[in-house]
Formats: sequence, structure tokens, C-alpha cells
Amino acid sequence: MSYDASARAARGTVPASDATFWGRLAGWGPYRAMASFTTASPRRQFIVLAVFPILWVLTQHLGPMVQMLRVSLTDAYPVAPGVEQHLTIEHYLKFFQDPLFWQPFFRTLIFAGVFTFCTLILTYPVAYFLARHVSPKNRMLLLLLLLIPFWVGEIVRTYAIMILLGNTGAVNLVLKWFGLIDRPIPFMYTSFSMGVGIVYLTALYMLLPLYSALEKLPKSLNEAAADLGAGAWTRFRRVTLPLTIEGISSGCTLVFLISTGFYATPVLLGGPSTTVFAETIAGFFHVAGTQWPTGAAFAIIMFLAALCITAAFQRLMTMLRKGDKT
Amino acid sequence: MTKLILNRRKFLSTTAAAGATLASPAYLRRAHAQQGGEVNIWTYNDFVPEAFKEQFQDETGIKVNVRLVDDQGKQFSLLAAEAPNPTVDIMTVAGHRFLQFIDSDLLAPLDLDRLTSWGNINPTFSESDWSTINGEKWGAPILSGMEVLAYNSDVVTAEEAQTWDTLFSDQYAGQNAYIIQDMMSIVMLMMGYDGNMVAYLDDPEKAAQIVEEAKNFLIENKPKVRKFYDGGAEFQQMMVNQDIVLGHSWNGPAAALINDGFPLGMTIPQEGSYGFVYTYNIAKNCPNPDNAYTFLNAILGSPEIGAAMTKASGFISTYKDSSQYLTDLEKKSTSFPDEQLANLQFFRSEANEMKYGLVDPAVEAIKAA
Repeated sequence: MSYDASARAARGTVPASDATFWGRLAGWGPYRAMASFTTASPRRQFIVLAVFPILWVLTQHLGPMVQMLRVSLTDAYPVAPGVEQHLTIEHYLKFFQDPLFWQPFFRTLIFAGVFTFCTLILTYPVAYFLARHVSPKNRMLLLLLLLIPFWVGEIVRTYAIMILLGNTGAVNLVLKWFGLIDRPIPFMYTSFSMGVGIVYLTALYMLLPLYSALEKLPKSLNEAAADLGAGAWTRFRRVTLPLTIEGISSGCTLVFLISTGFYATPVLLGGPSTTVFAETIAGFFHVAGTQWPTGAAFAIIMFLAALCITAAFQRLMTMLRKGDKT
Repeated sequence: MTKLILNRRKFLSTTAAAGATLASPAYLRRAHAQQGGEVNIWTYNDFVPEAFKEQFQDETGIKVNVRLVDDQGKQFSLLAAEAPNPTVDIMTVAGHRFLQFIDSDLLAPLDLDRLTSWGNINPTFSESDWSTINGEKWGAPILSGMEVLAYNSDVVTAEEAQTWDTLFSDQYAGQNAYIIQDMMSIVMLMMGYDGNMVAYLDDPEKAAQIVEEAKNFLIENKPKVRKFYDGGAEFQQMMVNQDIVLGHSWNGPAAALINDGFPLGMTIPQEGSYGFVYTYNIAKNCPNPDNAYTFLNAILGSPEIGAAMTKASGFISTYKDSSQYLTDLEKKSTSFPDEQLANLQFFRSEANEMKYGLVDPAVEAIKAA
């Protein structure tokens, strides 16, 4: 159907049999009435546009959290038939009263902090190289190459690390082949193997914000600093780093939050001394069977702790940015 | 051993099992007209032989939907969340976990009048004391397993493997693995206590003291363990990758490795160990009860199917005469000397509430320590 025909169909001047589906729809009375009602004012347009994203956030993001909060405040869940459910905060108190749970909790936060720092240190040079030293036409190709491992799922990539670091894995085989070791080094089931796995899995979330921040940085600023006698380190410390702090902030926030919630990777790559809080929480849902409210309460505690730390970190970054501007 | 050999052997054994099952008497053809619909099953990997499943679907028109589970507690939680209108028809509950499910009103007692294949189960399992609760049968035994000490026979000697102490020895520090929850019962047994805790039902203080003792033992020995694992596949993987040379294991995954040609041995150590029986159970208010009984009658219908389950899972079949369909190696990997079997006792459920009330926090403490 030509444009004219569409327009005529929209005005209802084309016989329905001559119009396409969209043309017929546009000419359909109830549709036209609804369209005029919803677009009558900017306010209505805004409501129409906002309603689906809001519904999405409420049902897909906040819904599960609210449900988890509700479960955490009940004395039993799932409730056995004929049993009455009561509200309680005992599951939250359990965490604060029993030091047993503090160790995996703080271990998780420390691990997440350390792994976030390691990811930053490892990916910053990669992002810098990509953004500053690779020609624009090759950048996409290199980015694509870096993205390839992320086309497969978390579990597959975790198993890849296991194949790499196992006693009969590639790393030990190479070390043995070069005669550097007689017996395999037990990399697996340690905080090292867990760290390698988490850094590998989260690297992209750090790399992309850093790359984005570095790419926007005008080269002229560094050139001006060089003209004024600043050496390479000084230029990085006084120009590049402060101006990419937003990318660092976004990347660190993403990686830290993701790291605090990892479950499968610590289970598969970690050892007896690396139990993280997600495993403790899962224990309530999987093993204990009847203790979902405790698991839910612990999940909420972890969520709030991670949010508080992230907020403090963001505040620190803002202060650094402001300090730099003054 | 390479992955290629593993796969080839697995393929050959699976093909043989499939052939045997397909060549089996046409039980289904005799017993069932095409009735259609579906049956939803929660079970462990390899507990529904693929060839049987296809034959069953072809001959009854009932679609078999299998959802894999790897943990009894997880299965309990899922079912409890769906109660009183579950989506599952048949689950796989270990005999010693019956009470937890029954107390929560999640299982339906079996109607033996409808379960015409019940007589095909070895009475050792179908009529044992744990299988009857409140005067009812709650599950059809399909496979039997036990907690064993499995070891790489190229590194650890059969003599060393006669005691659980080897698992905690300095010699094999960093080369061992176990499931903490299961080890708690075994450690209690090692210390001369009743790991089922039935003996302490009237003495909760004593029970708490024993669990504390076992917990402290495992915390003390924690620096020597390479990995606390959760599932049989993890154990197999660590063995094949030579990350460990010995460990506590269920006999099923260990037998599967032996059948694949891995140099693995397994024993029931002299201090003793625990056995368990997996059963197929019908969920209370399940959506397809007729199809569930049709499925149970079919899968219990012939010893070849029991043998196929043993070949795939490594666990010991509870079916009468199923061993005649196993190869010599398969028989060897699923049998133990009489003197070792004498050390075996079954898990019991009478004290589960008290036991797991004490053991679950202890497990968390060991992990956290």
C-alpha cells in the first residue's frame, strides 16, 4: 500500500478490503478513539510511555525483593497445611546474635572488594590500550574478540577455568613441560582459583565503562600536560585517572555488586576455606529445607550491606571528583 | 584415562543398556493401552533410563517430563513451595527422608492394589522396617546406595582404605574430599556413636554433645580437606582430574567411574558406614495420579530396566534378578565383600528432626570456620 493509501486508510476513506492490516487498524474506530485519548496531552503520552517500564520494574525487579522481604519476616515458609503464619524479626536477630555467620559475611565483602580491585587493575590497561592506542577501525574488532567468551554462560566459563587450573589442567601441564614443577600445583579449590574465576567473569562489566570513559577523554589534554613538562606517570595521575573516575566508579560498583552475589562460581572453584555468604544463604534454601525465612533474611542483610558499601564508595568517588575540580 | 575413552565406554554401555531394554519383554504392550497425557517426575540423573522412557512414551502415549534434582532438601523445599497443588507426580525420596515429607503432608501413600509390579522388588528393600510408616508404604524402592571410601588404586592401597582414618591422615592431606553433612554421620560412627541418633532420642543433651564432638573433629581436620563437595558428578570430576586421590563418596558415582575404566577402588571401612535406598514416591494431590501408577508399574516391570538403571547410575538395583543382566565388571563395581557389608547399617529417620536440627548448624559452622 502506498503512503497515500495509508493516509487515506487512516482517515477512513479507503475501503477496508483495499488497506493493509496497519491501514485497517488505523482506520478502526475504537483504535482511533484510544489513540486520540492517550495522545491528547503530553501528560497522557508520558503516562502511556511510562506505564510499561514501571510495570516491568515493579514486577521483575521490586516484586521478587518485596516477596523475599515478606518471607524474611515470617516465622515459617513454605507453611505446612493447617499451620498459621506469624510475623517476626527473629531471622534477622539470628544473624546478629550468632557470630558463626559473620565470617562468611565479611569474607564475602572482603573477597568482593579485593576481586573488584584486581579486576580494575587488570582491565584498566586493556581499556586504555583499546581506547587510546588502537585505531578506530580496529577497535570494534578487538572489542568483539574480548566479548567472545561472554557469549557463553557463567557455568561454562567457570568450567573452562577448572580445565585451565586443575591438577591435569593446561597451566600445570605447561609448567611441567617447561620443567618448572615436578608435581602439579594445587590451584583449584582455593581463594586463588575462585578469584581468577570471578575476575574473568566480571572483567567485561569493568572493561566497558572504563573503555567508554577513556574513549571520551580528549587527547589534547594529555598533549597539553606533556607540553607543560608532565611526565607519563604525572599525566596519568593528574589527567587521565581523574577524568576517568566516572568509568572507574561505574565499573567498580557493577563488579562489586555482582561479586557479592556470586554463588555457582565459589561453589565450583572455591575450597573449604572460601565459603561465601551466598553459599550460607543457599544452605538455608537447599539443605535445611524448612528455613527459608532465615535464608531470605540473610539475603536482605547482604543486599543492604552491599548497597551501603556501594553508596559509600559512590560518595567517595564524588568527593574525589569534586576535590579534583577545586 | 581420557575424556574420549570415557565417552566411548559410556556410549557402549548406554547402547547395550538401550538394546537390552528395547529387547525386553513387551511389558508395556501387554499392560497398557494408549492413554496419553503426561507424567512429571523429579529424579536424579540416570534414574529414568532413556531407552525405557522412549519406549514408555511410544507405547502409552504418556509424555514423561523429567526434572533433575541433586539434593533431597532442595526437592523438599520445591515441593513444599508448590503444596497443596504440586506440579510433580513422582519424586525420588531417600528412604531415610520419608518422615520429613510425610510430616509435611507432601506424599501420598502408595496404593499397592494399583501397583501390580510391587512384587518385582526384592523383599529386602520392599519389606524392610524403614519402608513402612504409619502402616503404609510411601515409596517404591528402585536403587540402593551407600557411603563408601573411594580411592585411586594407583595411589592408595586397599589396606589403607580399610579405615576412615586414612581420609584424615597427613599423608593424603589436600588430596581428599567429602560431603560434610554425610561425613557428620560417619564421624559419629567412627567415634563409636549412633550416627542415626536414634539411641539419643531421650537424651538431647547427649545428642548435642556428640554433634559438637563430630563438628570439632571436622573443624580440626578442615586444613587437610581439598574440597567440600555436594554432588556425585563433582566427586567424579575431581578424581578424573587427579585433584583428589581419595574421598567419601556414594557408591553410585564411584561405581560409574570403575565401569569407565578409572583405577578406582571403594570400601565400606571397618568403622562402618551407612546405606540408603532411593524410592519413587507419589506426591499428594499430584496432577496425574493414573499416569504416575502406569509409570511406576512400567519402570518396576522387568529386571532389565533395573539393570539399565544400575548401569547408568552405578547404584545397586533393588529389583529381583536384575544382576543377571550386568557384566562381570558391573557386578564387581556394585558388590562388596561380606565382611565389609557387615559394617553397613541403613540410615534411619526416627531421630531426623533432632539430628538435623543439630547437624545443619554444625555443617554451617564447619563451612564458616
